Amino acid sequence: MADVGLARLGIEFPSPVVLASGPAGFGCELASAMAFQRLGALTTKTITLEPRRGNAQPRLVDCPAGALNSIGLENPGYEAFVERVYPKVADLPVRRFFSVAAASVADLCALLHRARALDGFDAIELNLSCPNLGGAIPGADAATVGEYVRAAVSEANLPLLVKLPGDSGNLVQSCDRALTEGASGVTLINSVRGLRVDWTSGQPFLDRMYGGLSGSAILPIALARVFEVRRAFPDVLIVGTGGVNSLGSLLEMLMAGADLVGIGFGLMVDPELPQRLVDELELWMDELGVRAVDELVGTAQRGGLDVH
Amino acid sequence: MGDRVDDKTIEHDDATLTGSRFFWQRAQLIDRRASQRYARVLLRGPGVASDVGVGQFVLVRYSDDACLPRAFSVMSASDLGLELFVKTEGRVREKFATAPMGTVFEVRGPYGTPYLDKISQDRRYVLVGGGSGAAPLLHFRKRHPSLVAGEVYGFRTGDASSLLREVSLTVESENGQRAHERLASVWRPGLGIIACGPEPMLRLLARAYRQVDDVYVSLEARIGCGIGTCLGCSIETSSGMQRICKEGPLFALRELPWLT
Repeated sequence: MADVGLARLGIEFPSPVVLASGPAGFGCELASAMAFQRLGALTTKTITLEPRRGNAQPRLVDCPAGALNSIGLENPGYEAFVERVYPKVADLPVRRFFSVAAASVADLCALLHRARALDGFDAIELNLSCPNLGGAIPGADAATVGEYVRAAVSEANLPLLVKLPGDSGNLVQSCDRALTEGASGVTLINSVRGLRVDWTSGQPFLDRMYGGLSGSAILPIALARVFEVRRAFPDVLIVGTGGVNSLGSLLEMLMAGADLVGIGFGLMVDPELPQRLVDELELWMDELGVRAVDELVGTAQRGGLDVH
Repeated sequence: MGDRVDDKTIEHDDATLTGSRFFWQRAQLIDRRASQRYARVLLRGPGVASDVGVGQFVLVRYSDDACLPRAFSVMSASDLGLELFVKTEGRVREKFATAPMGTVFEVRGPYGTPYLDKISQDRRYVLVGGGSGAAPLLHFRKRHPSLVAGEVYGFRTGDASSLLREVSLTVESENGQRAHERLASVWRPGLGIIACGPEPMLRLLARAYRQVDDVYVSLEARIGCGIGTCLGCSIETSSGMQRICKEGPLFALRELPWLT
């Protein structure tokens, strides 16, 4: 029987399929129907120090092969999260990544300092790439990435993953700075800045004009970024996220170089998708005689799949 | 930053999402009556929910396409199937008008809070529908006739009248009257209002009836997950952010000060 589990950062992951931050919320609504035990990890919805109402409607715009979103990190803020949501999250039978974002390095330090008290998370995912906040995306500038990561590493008592944008800045440089400052891995990519115009009114659909494109439309972009970063950093942990919605695209993401694969938009469309992907991956590996996920990771960098 | 966010978006229901509420279910198109711009369709499949509260909606997709599914309020639900009343424009909607009988769609749901859990039940209501917004109200009149004091179903043209013979329509192209104008002669003090339709109609109604007790409006947004996790349908209310797919789609007008 093939083993879909893998070990990274000293953590055993039951499979490479991870719920990306956002569409799964805090996982609680999914608890009754999701086979959490089979999933690699749940990344909780991004928490900020203070509550955020998020952006005005409309927040979703349909696109060919995906959607633009403009949620704007709506979340209850750290204190309310700890008080009301965390106890439920901590009960879910799944490994957990704690996603955080901050408008400043000082806010990030305050948030992570408090988060030291939280048990039950395996890593922190620092979201430096939300496209829906206005202003510069911190992850687009390598020096800024370095500042945030240095601060985060000094406050956090867990491994740090840094979520970077796929469409702005020099990604390899940003990764380099993040790793130099002590990050344990990178999550690639966030949704990609996009625009749609309502041709009946002549106006952009979204109040903030731009939104984040996700869905299968961005799969090739995410694959290219993962491939590029894997080539530059053969040993770093990469959570590849962007457009995976089938066994084929899951395999592509692993083979391009991702260790773990995030499912975001795919879960929004089909809540059953993540667990089905784990089952399909296991069957596929069995059929081909692939014994371990490690045999799949990065094959596109090293001469292809070695089938027994 | 620093905005107040209501508890409702973070206090999650205990596990209730199972079966058809979580997984896509195959459903065959088994009946259709169509006019030029609307269709009344019946979808049936072994896993499709037959127990649907009035006002709840389902998500529908045609084949496993990679886009967001479409949300439809249920017009009736029984062992015979799910009946939807839809405008046949747009990606999924036009399939309802053109697909041959037996075509398989996928359905999940129902989602949202039934109207009965949100309205005051010691009052009678005038139902006000606009276009395909008539669907949940037709469900309401069928299931809760004792709560209905009057009905107004507004349409631009008489196109849909052959599909909705059980009620009389207010057709703008025929007598120049729109739903909110017709409402003025149907509503009387003491009655509540439940409205579902396009936002411009709801805004007109909100301006005229804001001072009336027990006015409820059913809101629409592009729905993402349908189960309350993605926050794609969050709206601002007087008690904080709430989700159309979870706490909604029906909201008391007094909770929506921005709707004018």
